[in-house]
Amino acid sequence: MSAESSQGDAAAVVDGDGSPLLITGQAGLQRRLRSLCTACRQLFGMPDYERYLAHAAERHPGASVLTRDDYFVQAIERKYGKGGMRCC
Amino acid sequence: MNRLMSLLLWPAIAIIGAFSFAALALGRGESVNAVWLVTAALSVYLIAYRFYSKFIAEKVLQVDPSRPTPAIRHNDGLDYVPTNKWVLYGHHFAAIAGAGPLVGPVLAAQMGFLPGTLWILAGVVTAGAVQDFIVLFVSVRRDGKSLGEMIKMELGPIPGSLALVGVLAIMIIILAVLALVVVKALTGSPWGLFTIFATIPIALLMGCYMRFIRPGRVGEASAFGVVLLLVSIFLGRVVAEDPAWAPLFTLSGPQLAWALILYGAIAASLPVWLMLAPRDYLSTFLKIGTIVALAIGIYYVAPKLAMPATTRFLDGSGPVFSGKLFPFLFITIACGAVSGFHALISSGTTPKMVENESHMRLIGFGGMLAESFVAVMALTAACVLDPGIYFAMNAPGAIIGTTAANAAQVISGWGFTITPDMITQTAKDIGETSILSRAGGAPTLAVGMAQILGQALGGKSMEAFWYHFAILFEALFILTAVDAGTRVGRFMIQDMLGHVYKPLGNTEYLPANLVGTGLCVALWGYFLYQGVVDPLGGINTLWQLFGVGNQMLAGIALLLCTTVLVKMKRQRYVWVTLVPTAWLLITTLTAGVQKIFDSDPKVGFLALAHKFSDAAAQGTLLAPAKSIAEMQRVAFNNYLDAVVCGFFVVLVLAMCVFALKIGLQALKEARPTAHEIPPLAGAQGLPA
Repeated sequence: MSAESSQGDAAAVVDGDGSPLLITGQAGLQRRLRSLCTACRQLFGMPDYERYLAHAAERHPGASVLTRDDYFVQAIERKYGKGGMRCC
Repeated sequence: MNRLMSLLLWPAIAIIGAFSFAALALGRGESVNAVWLVTAALSVYLIAYRFYSKFIAEKVLQVDPSRPTPAIRHNDGLDYVPTNKWVLYGHHFAAIAGAGPLVGPVLAAQMGFLPGTLWILAGVVTAGAVQDFIVLFVSVRRDGKSLGEMIKMELGPIPGSLALVGVLAIMIIILAVLALVVVKALTGSPWGLFTIFATIPIALLMGCYMRFIRPGRVGEASAFGVVLLLVSIFLGRVVAEDPAWAPLFTLSGPQLAWALILYGAIAASLPVWLMLAPRDYLSTFLKIGTIVALAIGIYYVAPKLAMPATTRFLDGSGPVFSGKLFPFLFITIACGAVSGFHALISSGTTPKMVENESHMRLIGFGGMLAESFVAVMALTAACVLDPGIYFAMNAPGAIIGTTAANAAQVISGWGFTITPDMITQTAKDIGETSILSRAGGAPTLAVGMAQILGQALGGKSMEAFWYHFAILFEALFILTAVDAGTRVGRFMIQDMLGHVYKPLGNTEYLPANLVGTGLCVALWGYFLYQGVVDPLGGINTLWQLFGVGNQMLAGIALLLCTTVLVKMKRQRYVWVTLVPTAWLLITTLTAGVQKIFDSDPKVGFLALAHKFSDAAAQGTLLAPAKSIAEMQRVAFNNYLDAVVCGFFVVLVLAMCVFALKIGLQALKEARPTAHEIPPLAGAQGLPA
């Protein structure tokens, strides 16, 4: 998770020292699930619209944001457009 | 308390490791349990990570947790994203792990399990992990610049351009050899071909789902994609047993080569969301899932290593690849110990996602240790097989013939007793008609995995399923690499062509794109086709050419790291990169020169070319060529291979000269001269 998002809504799965998933309670469960999904999306390099929205809200509040469709198309194009080096 | 734990823990790990090595080394005459091999490897990784990587991070590189990384400075939510270190570790590992660590160790198993294991472990600790870690560090300190750009920055524009040409050449060879692995695995295998073919419509379906039906819902599309993949494995058996469908999916080597060339050209021209992206997700899931399953499987089943610690083929007479242990073992294993290609990933997307400099040790060094672990498991899977089966699968038809009876006789003659029945029964168990001469690593690994996973889940009846699952797992990421690599190659070719004729460099111009894609496919397609029709098996030649290229690239990356250390005035510690650089240069230059000039036609390209062209000139036919024209083609291809190999040798020697010159200049300077982004460069206002 990013430095700023760990204070924000999408809570960190693991903190800097690596103690994993220690958020508890009702709201905690939901946050835990959401952060797990975010972590998986990052792990597999999938586009993450929610993270983009959180980033936009924090860095550029009030500015217009991409729709989910447009974000998806752009994110895929950025990642794969030039092919992306694969390892042997 | 922590100190006490540490005081007890590390000696304990050292003792477990020493005990495992003793079990491996002293267990002569009886078969050793694979668990010892894997445990020995894990102990080495833990100790190397705890002590050596800490030394490199703190003393050599002096990583600074307070220094903002590119992800922090340019955070744009798109490319530059600060990422949790464990998540990035997984992401980086998924990006570096490919077919390389699976193929090389399987081929190297012909010398026994010990030489391969020792080099994988020694190589990763002293060279591979060091390279990945330091390149990542150097790139993070330079705004996530690529290897080519960094060579240009630190060594000068000429070495920068040379390195780019080298990368393109190596990539062409890699694409050819990866495609060849797929051809070897799928020749005459309707079950395998059907499952691999099915991944195309599945990916298209996922692509359309994510684009039009439920835009951006990658998770949903991937979930049904994985289910469909598993269904396609079961369907593959139905197709293979159906008299009407089976012939449609039973292709010969050359037919498959053409199919792959066509596939590469079309796939690389499609929009990325349609096939490349969905296929990449599937391949990443399968890759991580299978590797974890294999690790658990080895510990759960605890199979015995059937392959002896060393075999008689240490002398260079082996059927799988020719050449002595030195230098060819080091060229063959390649990726599991040190891989030049990782330098491209460590200077690609990963440095743009590092949240804190202190994380680089886990991501760079630790990521490579995990890759090495994959290589150890591949070696284990190959050595669990009966050696007779191993050689039946990996020796070329020119040596063992094309029938089980003939193969059993030849291989038993080498001292690895096997009956024709065992060969046919193994083929039957995995649902194939023949296992003979399926070199290239994938099928051997798949049989080993099928036996391990079969024992853990489903027994004998499930072996055929696991075999095709393993083939699918490898073929899936190889095909993704062919698609993505062809695109990268196209951009590089267009970039070069743009210098000759400007419109060809325009990547928005369709005819220029088609020329670029066509050229790239033609280049790797040529080497692929040459490998497929090569009577000696193709892998024998191409894999070593790839190994030389890949290790040369690692040498170049390490030369860059060495120069940067000197420029940072850390010459006290320069041995950390200089020793592996020297070793890589010694092995690869020896191998490169032997591959070109050795007088034994089994080893030297020129010797083989002369042998065929001389015989052709006298009008005598040399088996297995069937016509004079075919002989002339063998000769031409070997001349070509010699030229490519010579190019790698000259390239790396030139880089040595440039690095030496710059290094000596930097030594004379009183102050650091490395081009790092200063630590306090402002967070805003910098161009991305």
